[in-house]
Amino acid sequence: MGLNLTVNGDHLTSTADPVTPLVDVLREEFYLTGAKPVCREGFCGACMVLVDGNPTPSCLMPAELAQGCDIRTVEGLAVNGGLNPIQAALEACDAVQCGMCFPGMVVSLTHLLTTRPEATRDDIRAALTGNICRCTGYERIIEATLLALATT
Amino acid sequence: MDTPAPRSVYAAPSLTAAIDALDEGGSTAAPFAGGTWIMRAPIRHEPLKSRYVAIGKIPELHAIKVEADVVEIGAAVTHAALAAALADFSEFDVLTAAAGRSANPAIRGMATIGGNLATTAFAAADCVPALLCLDAEVEIASRGGPERTSLEQFLTMRSILAPGRLLQRIIVPRRGRKTVHARLPLRQAGDYPTAIVSLAVSLDDAGHVQTARVAVGSVEPVARRWERLEAALVGQRLNAAKAAEAAAGFADEFTGRDSTEVPGWYRVRVLPGLVRRAVAALGS
Repeated sequence: MGLNLTVNGDHLTSTADPVTPLVDVLREEFYLTGAKPVCREGFCGACMVLVDGNPTPSCLMPAELAQGCDIRTVEGLAVNGGLNPIQAALEACDAVQCGMCFPGMVVSLTHLLTTRPEATRDDIRAALTGNICRCTGYERIIEATLLALATT
Repeated sequence: MDTPAPRSVYAAPSLTAAIDALDEGGSTAAPFAGGTWIMRAPIRHEPLKSRYVAIGKIPELHAIKVEADVVEIGAAVTHAALAAALADFSEFDVLTAAAGRSANPAIRGMATIGGNLATTAFAAADCVPALLCLDAEVEIASRGGPERTSLEQFLTMRSILAPGRLLQRIIVPRRGRKTVHARLPLRQAGDYPTAIVSLAVSLDDAGHVQTARVAVGSVEPVARRWERLEAALVGQRLNAAKAAEAAAGFADEFTGRDSTEVPGWYRVRVLPGLVRRAVAALGS
């Protein structure tokens, strides 16, 4: 019996073992490769997706328990084909970094923007605690987030 | 090449269904709460169980009841939910800090209090010392009915719990104490603590310590109370420097666990500093 998952609004079926981490199903069966399996421990945030609106490390969620949930990956964050506010601000501020950690940051910040419109710089830093950048940094991302908060 | 054994995850709709499934699964089954420890089994080169009983959809395990004399916390309450629910109760500052500052926001939204207490191999659990200093008790459900025991006792038996038993609820007495949680992660946030000192004290009208509970986590494989330091605090005014001095004198009773992050001696060495921070935070 397959697993029925709702990903970015699409109803998809997986034949994976029930304990398979969701990130592996997303990447290897559905070819949604924005989420990256990096640390596989929930520390780095590279595999972050929204599950029922909440940022969730998809390396720690068994596919079986993702059934019935609304799963949204970085590929599904754009609104009607246009960038969402944080995506647009990141682009406008030239804050886009390589594709390893960045998709997870976009997912975490999309959640922050929709749930904490009054967020401060410290709130942004706290929200990114679970998104580790190994090569570039955070400051331009934080500036872009502040811009997005100020303009949405 | 070995063929992996088929696995199953059963999302139990009720506590009774979960207990039945665990009982029938015997040693091949295990509860699955937030999954933040179990899903990392491959990283630790540990085998997964063939059957998991997911308890995350059981309503009563998500309840937090604040009564006049106790707070009852369902085992599937997440760290984030616990920190939010207790944020306005200063007597639980230690627990709010433990639940609200551990790991990172996404993990706090998944990891449960029950999982934190029941995971034998996780030495750096923040909520264990926090609940030890609050004199917490736990209730374990089974087909034979619930059993209640102290958290201290549970920590000695959790690795040998018979199949079919499930940590159901944590009961924390309300004693109006001043409490604080001091932890030292290697990074400012998002990391495991090297050492933890959780402190709960009651003071008399003159400001002398009437009762003291000090619990130390992450230093040894299992968190425990620091009873010699507790005794040294009783009868004294809160004084951070003197408390740290006493802690330095008693620290040799701990044998720090070595790990890839830090050597064991370092975990012990930082304890007096954490005691100083903890007592200072209480306004000494």
